[in-house]
Amino acid sequence: MARYQRADPAAPAALVKLLSPQLYRFFAGPMGSKTDAEDMLQDVWLRIHRVRHTYRPGEPVLPWVYAIARRVRVDDYRKRHRIASRETGVDVLPETWVNKDERSCLPRFEELVAALPESQREVVTMLKVDGLSIEEVARATSSTVGAVKQKAHRAYERLRKLLEQTPMAQTARKGATQ
Amino acid sequence: MTCRDMDGMISSHSGDSLLSPEAAEHIVGCERCRSLMRLVDEAREIPAPSEIQLKRIQSGILKNLKPVRPLPPSRIFLFAFALIFVSVVAVGTLMLGINGWSVLSMEQKIAIFATLSASAVLLALSMARQMVPGSKHAVSPATLPIAILVVLMLVIAAMFRSEEEPAFVANGLMCIRNGLEYSLPTALLFWMLLRRGAILFPKLIGAAAGGFSGLIGLSVLEINCSNLNVYHILVWHWGVILIASLAGVAVGAAVEYIDRYRDQKNSF
Repeated sequence: MARYQRADPAAPAALVKLLSPQLYRFFAGPMGSKTDAEDMLQDVWLRIHRVRHTYRPGEPVLPWVYAIARRVRVDDYRKRHRIASRETGVDVLPETWVNKDERSCLPRFEELVAALPESQREVVTMLKVDGLSIEEVARATSSTVGAVKQKAHRAYERLRKLLEQTPMAQTARKGATQ
Repeated sequence: MTCRDMDGMISSHSGDSLLSPEAAEHIVGCERCRSLMRLVDEAREIPAPSEIQLKRIQSGILKNLKPVRPLPPSRIFLFAFALIFVSVVAVGTLMLGINGWSVLSMEQKIAIFATLSASAVLLALSMARQMVPGSKHAVSPATLPIAILVVLMLVIAAMFRSEEEPAFVANGLMCIRNGLEYSLPTALLFWMLLRRGAILFPKLIGAAAGGFSGLIGLSVLEINCSNLNVYHILVWHWGVILIASLAGVAVGAAVEYIDRYRDQKNSF
């Protein structure tokens, strides 16, 4: 990042290559479509470029990047919400990256996480999809470590309940009682 | 180990790392945690962005690449905020007088000015941190302005008593006008400083800047106004912070709206 601030041409290329897959996962996470994720990825780099002077060398990069990415996702959500409120229907659904794995007996992560409230979904996505630490998630969401832990706990509890309601879990329970 | 203890483990565990013996033992016996672990471990199986897109982003950045100077340290901004606060309150005191200070009891002075100072420090820290994305926050920036408004209201309600006041509205309008005369221009100064950072959530930073400038107005009024009626202070003095905070949110909303249009025009 410091080299990027000094306009070293190799630095942004390396950063884009290093961080884009992770950011793409964040945008394409639960309920996201491939096209939306690509748009948001482009948007986040535009904003990172615009506010690169606000990164302080020595500080962790990921919370800085994810705080900007989070803002991009909020804006995208609002934009889509505005557009959707004016539309009456679509013939073709947007292309999503989700392909249900027929071999898996468990529901997919995205399907269950989509049922969580937005704030819990965001925390679980950052922790489990993007691999951020609790401290990094707290910084990226302008929150405290305690609040992030609480949201994660509530999300996991909800996921456990949802998992218990899956046909596979119910069959397993019946088998255990017989 | 309980399911609750497992939550911290699940948050920090990555698919390829080993579990602690206690966690492994719990997983063996607990179907709920086992299913959850399996579910979250498959979370990273998402495709990567296309190479063409990455190349387009890289070339877009390289086209506009210029050296930038990193933002000065937070302490510089904190110093600037403190300087503005003290200077404006000093000017207000010189212009309006210290009638209020003279009639306040020692307990009232301590309670009111300690709360005002603590609130100012917290809001200044919050503003300085909101300028830099990914900063550590001790209190959520969304909660802080509301918490400060509530605490100040409670302190005022606890420290002052109801008194007879014949010209409640006329006196009050004069006070609120005096308070806002010092608050609103100061908010513009703060905005100029804050614009140097990355304002990700303009409404939040607007509420903090408005609240901070409202504290200046309230401080000026507490030093100047000799009216100790609790309702006068709650409506016309505390109202300055409320109005300034709401004005900050409104300015933030306007900035957000303008930014949205600007972003639609810009792209790599």
